[in-house]
Amino acid sequence: MNTQTTSTAAADILVGMGQIAAGQAPQRMKAILGSCIGLALYHPGRKSGVMAHIVLPESAGRDGAPGKFADTAVPQMLAVLRDHGLPAYGLTAKLAGGANMFNGSGPLQIGDANAQAVAAALRKAGIRVAGHDIGGTRGRRVDFDCASGEMIVQCAGQPARTL
Amino acid sequence: MNELRHSDNGALAALYELFASATHDASAAMCRWTNGLITVTLDQVREIPLEDISAELGIGDELLTMVVLTLKGDVGGNLILLFDEHNGRQLAASLLGRHAGTEPEWSDIEKSALTETGNILGCAYVNALTRLIDTDLMPSAPYFIQDYGASVLQQAVMMQALTSDRLLLCQIGFRRKAQELDWRVVFVPTQGMQEALQRSLHAAL
Repeated sequence: MNTQTTSTAAADILVGMGQIAAGQAPQRMKAILGSCIGLALYHPGRKSGVMAHIVLPESAGRDGAPGKFADTAVPQMLAVLRDHGLPAYGLTAKLAGGANMFNGSGPLQIGDANAQAVAAALRKAGIRVAGHDIGGTRGRRVDFDCASGEMIVQCAGQPARTL
Repeated sequence: MNELRHSDNGALAALYELFASATHDASAAMCRWTNGLITVTLDQVREIPLEDISAELGIGDELLTMVVLTLKGDVGGNLILLFDEHNGRQLAASLLGRHAGTEPEWSDIEKSALTETGNILGCAYVNALTRLIDTDLMPSAPYFIQDYGASVLQQAVMMQALTSDRLLLCQIGFRRKAQELDWRVVFVPTQGMQEALQRSLHAAL
């Protein structure tokens, strides 16, 4: 049930930059994030969900995969869920990422803008945010469990956090 | 290795030649810095789809020690020097003439040795590129960072991701005499840098 993704094991889906992936229990959807946002929309009743690895806040008419931009990713994620027979109601959102890497002094520090754009897109779609781990200056490894709906977030050198 | 992807693409082949010239200068600087031990080679200039970049470069969720140097502005880019823990510590130890550190936290002197290596390598590239494109480049101070390799790479490609779903980058390898070392440099030029290099190439013809 995954689209546009790289599989790392039978039950794992690695979601690359700009990709959107759909998964169901017992699959796990994973991403490595810096300033990007990993956004998971989950349907608890169906134990199914979809994850996007969002790179930039706005498409602003630019070409690119829908999953690359916050404003196009959320509608596309809903379309993917619909294609898999999942309703838009009853969804919850969990998100992580949006760091300002290099202590905020490097090029195009876009983590904050990404987080704000994703929050706005979720509000517009009427989707409740059930958990988030956003900002800071460290990278994150996220692992979304389609069976439980938990998102495990690991910042480099720190204990894992479960959303 | 010296692989050039999309070899039918003349622009990519031309960029390879220009970066090879800059790498020659960087190698000479690295050789001086390490008392003749280490040289640098341009392994690849290639385009990679945005979504495949971590997998294609083999940079995933491992914790790496990195030195990042940013060339600011439209004609710019990011140069990342990447080591795993063991290799980073070994390089620092050989530069400092002591045994590799074993404390979990890197000491300031170890960080400084690696940062200076990034600085020497980065400045050699900056000088070579400045001569090639006849434009002043503005390098940042080198920045020491320990994090997931893919997270840092993600930030480094962000300027290119603004305008393209295919990312151009250079991969540079290290050798100790004939032995290939497990250290890497990735240089990600901005679109403006790529265009400036193309212009300089056309002007030279």
